[in-house]
Amino acid sequence: MKKRGLGFYLRIYRKILAQDLKSKMSYRADFIISTIGMICTNISGFVGFWVMFRNFPSINGWSYYEMLFLYGFSLVSITPVQCLFDNNWALRGQVYSGDFIKYCFRPINMFFYYQSEVFDIKGLGQLAFGIGTIAYSWNKIGLEFSFIACFKLVVFLITASLVMIALQNAAAATCFWIQNSYYVLELTFRFKDYSKYPITIFNKAFRFIFTFIFPIAFIAYYPSLVILRPDAIPVLTWISPFIGIIFFYISYRIWMYGASKYTGTGS
Amino acid sequence: MNLKRRLSLTRAGIIESLQFRLSMLIIFVGNLLYLIVIYFLWKAIYASSGQEVVNGMTFSDTLIYLVLASAIFNFIEMYTVWEMGRAIQSGNMVLNLLKPMEYRKYLFWSFSGTFVTQFFFTFLPTFIIVAIVTNGAIQFGFNLLYFVISIVMAIVINYNIDFFVGTICLYTESIWGINIMKQVLVLLLSGATVPIAFFPETFKKIVYCLPFQSIYNAPLSLLLGKDMPVSEAMTTLGIQLLWCVVMMILSRLFWKSSLKQITVNGG
Repeated sequence: MKKRGLGFYLRIYRKILAQDLKSKMSYRADFIISTIGMICTNISGFVGFWVMFRNFPSINGWSYYEMLFLYGFSLVSITPVQCLFDNNWALRGQVYSGDFIKYCFRPINMFFYYQSEVFDIKGLGQLAFGIGTIAYSWNKIGLEFSFIACFKLVVFLITASLVMIALQNAAAATCFWIQNSYYVLELTFRFKDYSKYPITIFNKAFRFIFTFIFPIAFIAYYPSLVILRPDAIPVLTWISPFIGIIFFYISYRIWMYGASKYTGTGS
Repeated sequence: MNLKRRLSLTRAGIIESLQFRLSMLIIFVGNLLYLIVIYFLWKAIYASSGQEVVNGMTFSDTLIYLVLASAIFNFIEMYTVWEMGRAIQSGNMVLNLLKPMEYRKYLFWSFSGTFVTQFFFTFLPTFIIVAIVTNGAIQFGFNLLYFVISIVMAIVINYNIDFFVGTICLYTESIWGINIMKQVLVLLLSGATVPIAFFPETFKKIVYCLPFQSIYNAPLSLLLGKDMPVSEAMTTLGIQLLWCVVMMILSRLFWKSSLKQITVNGG
């Protein structure tokens, strides 16, 4: 099989995306209700955050608006996993029922084809909400606004999002080996809620664990420091983009390895 | 005879949930991570506030409250809306309607096995650990009795809210959106994510008029209330009882009237 270029895949992605959106639009009521549900999730998340922190001017040296910035940052950085990799949640069912076998016979990259089949459009509301939160808190903190800062923010947001994507890919891929992988996915999915707190609230041992064993701190905390603490950027922040890329690659290999072991159900 | 029939469903549920030991381990790890995060988060919050008591709650009060709230969540969450939604979408609802037991009761009793296993495997260990670690922050007296009565009513209220919301799926055929809306609203307004004591005054007043605070806030405040006067405990339990009856009637009426116009996908 000859190697296909990026252009080829982009063209295919556009076509699959269009089909997916068309089929979603045919269930209009469901689409609208899901979007409202997503907005509710974001609003209640924000209300919870506000109720918790409104009484206190600062937590652990972090002002309210800096916490808010981190909150917005984590919302944006988990949007790609929500929008582009939502099909991971269905992997378990497809493997179990045997439907997964259809992906093994397509002449394109299996991982790409599987993930491109679903685009979760309701995640875009979260993106808007997150960007709004970042802009608002950016303004309130009085950070300098420049083209370079924006560029840095975008680069670090994209690479940070790879960490969450990698975790979800690897968690979904466990279904090739164990029966009830839903709980593994659920476990890593909850990391998104923990990523919105600064890692400095933990003691040394757990700071280590949440950096190197469960890499929650790379979803938002370390990457966001590039904007929040421009005078004292730790090394871990600079390497966080590479961590994102490496993690993504590893999770891709795990996923593909699992898929290559798949033998179908015989039906 | 009637009770025996119901308890056989309970027994089947216990056996079924014991099948998934690996999932239980993963759920346990997930809960442990959650507990670690909230422990350090609230520790940082209390440290920054510089006060022993915030909104009438000490650090250990808040911690016990949140830990037990998550333990209660694990054992009373039954994913009723999912179950109903899937039965409606797949058409299996017809089979459920043919059963010689009212569907609302059948669903409740077939879940009751999970109550038993979850109670002994997650709630009770958590409770014992919390009681030992906090060393005397939980009183052992009448409050335990109140708590047990209260938690039974909380289960009934929660189930009936779920059943009511699940019935909406008959009309919308949207599960995800409806379920997520219900879940975030209940968790926020019941005080499961942030104790209601931390809410702003007007917000608090509104929340006390809604049924949701009877699910988490009522049993937990009965348990943690130090030397609570009997009249106050009775008021809390009375309000719960009222919501029990109201929600039971509402969910029953809504289901009965909805059944008349049900359309089931050919299953």
